[in-house]
Amino acid sequence: MNLLDFLRFAARRTTEMVLTLLVASFVVFGAMYLAPGSPASFLLSGRSASPEALAAVNARYHLRDPFAERYLHWLGDMVRGDFGRSLTYRTEVSRLLADRLPTTLLLTVMALVMVVAVGLVLGRIAAVRGGATDTAVLLATTLAVGTPSFVAAVLLQGLFSVRLGWFPSSGAGDGFLDQVWHLALPSVALALYLIGMLARVTRTAMLEALDSEHVTVARARGVPERLVIRRHVLRNALGTVLTTGGLIVSTLLVCTILVETAFSVGGIGQLLELATTTKDFPTVQAVSLIVVGLFMAVNLLVDLALPLVDPRITLGTRGAAL
Amino acid sequence: MSTAPPPPRLPVRRSKRAVLAPLVALVCVVALAACAGPPRGAADGTDASFVLSAGTAGAKGDVDSFSWAVYAEPPTLDYTMAFDYPQNTILANVCESLMRWTPQLTLEPGLARRATNPDPLTWVYDLRPGVRFHDGRTMTADDAVFSLDRQRDPKNAAAWAQNFENVSAVRKTGPLQVTVTLKRPDSQFPQYMATAAGVVASRAGVTAAGPDYGTSGGLACTGPFSLGTWRKGQSLELRRFDGYWGTRAKARKVVFRFLTDASARTNALLRGEADGGYLIPTESYERLRHSGAGTLYFGEGLSTVNLGITDMKGPLGDVRVRRALSLALDRPGFVHAGLGGAGRPTSSLTTRAVWAGAPPGVREAAFGQLPATGRDIGRAKALVKEAGATGKTLTVATSSIGQDVSLLATAVQAAGTEIGLRVTLKSVAPNAFTALFTDPAAREGIDAFPLTYYDSITDPLDFLTNFKTGAYLNFSGFSDKAYDALTERATATYDKEQRLGVEARLQKYAAEQLPWIPVAEWPTALFLNKRLTGAPTTISYMYYPWAAGIGAARPGTAP
Repeated sequence: MNLLDFLRFAARRTTEMVLTLLVASFVVFGAMYLAPGSPASFLLSGRSASPEALAAVNARYHLRDPFAERYLHWLGDMVRGDFGRSLTYRTEVSRLLADRLPTTLLLTVMALVMVVAVGLVLGRIAAVRGGATDTAVLLATTLAVGTPSFVAAVLLQGLFSVRLGWFPSSGAGDGFLDQVWHLALPSVALALYLIGMLARVTRTAMLEALDSEHVTVARARGVPERLVIRRHVLRNALGTVLTTGGLIVSTLLVCTILVETAFSVGGIGQLLELATTTKDFPTVQAVSLIVVGLFMAVNLLVDLALPLVDPRITLGTRGAAL
Repeated sequence: MSTAPPPPRLPVRRSKRAVLAPLVALVCVVALAACAGPPRGAADGTDASFVLSAGTAGAKGDVDSFSWAVYAEPPTLDYTMAFDYPQNTILANVCESLMRWTPQLTLEPGLARRATNPDPLTWVYDLRPGVRFHDGRTMTADDAVFSLDRQRDPKNAAAWAQNFENVSAVRKTGPLQVTVTLKRPDSQFPQYMATAAGVVASRAGVTAAGPDYGTSGGLACTGPFSLGTWRKGQSLELRRFDGYWGTRAKARKVVFRFLTDASARTNALLRGEADGGYLIPTESYERLRHSGAGTLYFGEGLSTVNLGITDMKGPLGDVRVRRALSLALDRPGFVHAGLGGAGRPTSSLTTRAVWAGAPPGVREAAFGQLPATGRDIGRAKALVKEAGATGKTLTVATSSIGQDVSLLATAVQAAGTEIGLRVTLKSVAPNAFTALFTDPAAREGIDAFPLTYYDSITDPLDFLTNFKTGAYLNFSGFSDKAYDALTERATATYDKEQRLGVEARLQKYAAEQLPWIPVAEWPTALFLNKRLTGAPTTISYMYYPWAAGIGAARPGTAP
């Protein structure tokens, strides 16, 4: 892989990403535009407003401008980093995001670490040990995959918070350690399903790799089993595992809405839920786009990292490699 | 006995002069368990252990701080936008109004030491001298004029603008005197001066904050607490204000925690992560009652649960069909299942508490001739038949927004089916459900939907005026000249006894015409853990500095 190829590939994928974001922005903007209920009526909190008040609100938020004009206006602002002013919170959306994004990121990172650490280890153990261990892991992961995050949230709260009193039942905490303590249960609730999924993907990929010829050859050559597993099996399986990375991150981002709400964590997910309810469209649009953007950025990173992990994969052939 | 307010969750807009606002949250596993229990309670649907308290015991001492669960974060604490439970529950302790609502839901002087009306078009407010704002300045008439004018300025789109629609001018008529001139006599206006509509904030403070007023920094008000740290999405702190003109608060600090999920809120109360809260989810009554962590109280509210009629062109346009539906409704069943037994079946659109000031004769006139709340299926069937509506179809909106909503919709369906109507339920997403209150387009194709309404002031007219021709919450376009004329007469009558007399006629009229079908009174719920006491149990917490009275339940626990 030469550097020029890599750069060209990166440039192409970045362009694709920007175009996709543009389409997404249109969809996100259009969806809010079509949804029932006028933002003005929410803004005026359901009162029968005087015509002057209505006109003032419509002018301030450009509610009466034609769709295309509003969209371009909004897009221009977004590009310049101006996310607009929240209708319900009466403050800059960027400020709302700055207040809440760190919590969501910490929650997501904690869950991701758990997913990767526990999921990979479980999958590996199940594939390598087989037998009863394999069956136990399969059972546990079936349970994990079958438990939606909001159900997990209720169960975890009931047991570890209310019954045992080990963890707080809600809130995000103050200071790093306190935050980690507060977010422990939410991140487990968030991670559970994905741990199960990743463990199964890892297990299958490793079993396939274990069956492959080069492993048989390596074993025949007397390469120690630990090395065989690490160099040949795990590395071969990693491509598949990494490919699911995009899926994992997107699931994490989507499920934060449920988990943050269940634990009243006060992050981006909860903000999105509330903003949708009140038709606070500048906030919904900004949060949706950021989530879409994060998701695509992760996918891009996965694409760029794949060739480094598995040299057989050439740039941009991820689909074929599968 | 009486009444009650609702547990909300998602912000449902307060409307016009008062609001609706039901909600509650998703029914969780716990709730299911609670619902699945054996039926309990009295025959009228009221739970045997449901008793209204006048208040809680007075505090025995100070506490350093306590935390309070609220179901949502206020978007802003600007008093001109304070139209919903979370903002008012918090703001009531920080910002004070010209008049004050008491824990008994009566009116008394607030920042104005006296309110007089020398003629029907003039209200004069003499301000209390030496009142200090949190920003250190002393209150003057200029501040009051400025604060009220913010409500009236169309550019502000204030939530209370409508309560100022009869005001023609607000002027300073002395260093500590403000005169409000009205276009026509308005008996409701002086009462609204006890809500957030009558808040006085420091002109300099509000101006300095600019567009950020209410969202960060201080609120420059006069209450027993000032705004402390606000951790967005998490919590908000109030600190005791040492320069307060009135009785000093018992707690040095109050922390409001935003717990949007009903189950998370209940868990926080059980674990002591929150020391108390109002608007307890109905699903959690049983758990909290039996937890041993504290006490669940109920108090007077000004809320009723109703079936709001939205379309008079369909079968419900015939008053006989509306009466039939009302006769067939299983109100006790609804109170038991939908309100956790804490409520009272009613055939009155207004609560009993809102008539507290009425002389016995007037109360008798208002309630004496109302239909019974019991069922009469035979008569209901006959009415439907007489109206020629047998076999006709009604569409009732329902939503997972709260148990009160979905269970009432189901009860209406059951009642309708029994008397020969076909009732289809149309499930509406929680956010779209909110739009039913505000957007006529969202109500299209819907004949009726369950709604909870609360009064912001202790006057039955606050509710009854909603059925005036063209009123904002008059969804179905109900229109009756006699009703309109009575409404106007009540609005123009300052004498309370006389006014209540007119309102009793309105009430009777509404009960006959059923522009909405009343179902139940809903009391306020309050939970306090063992550590604390001193909170009012009535809905006064919306506009009364309730947190200032909360302190230690046992002596000797002062900081």
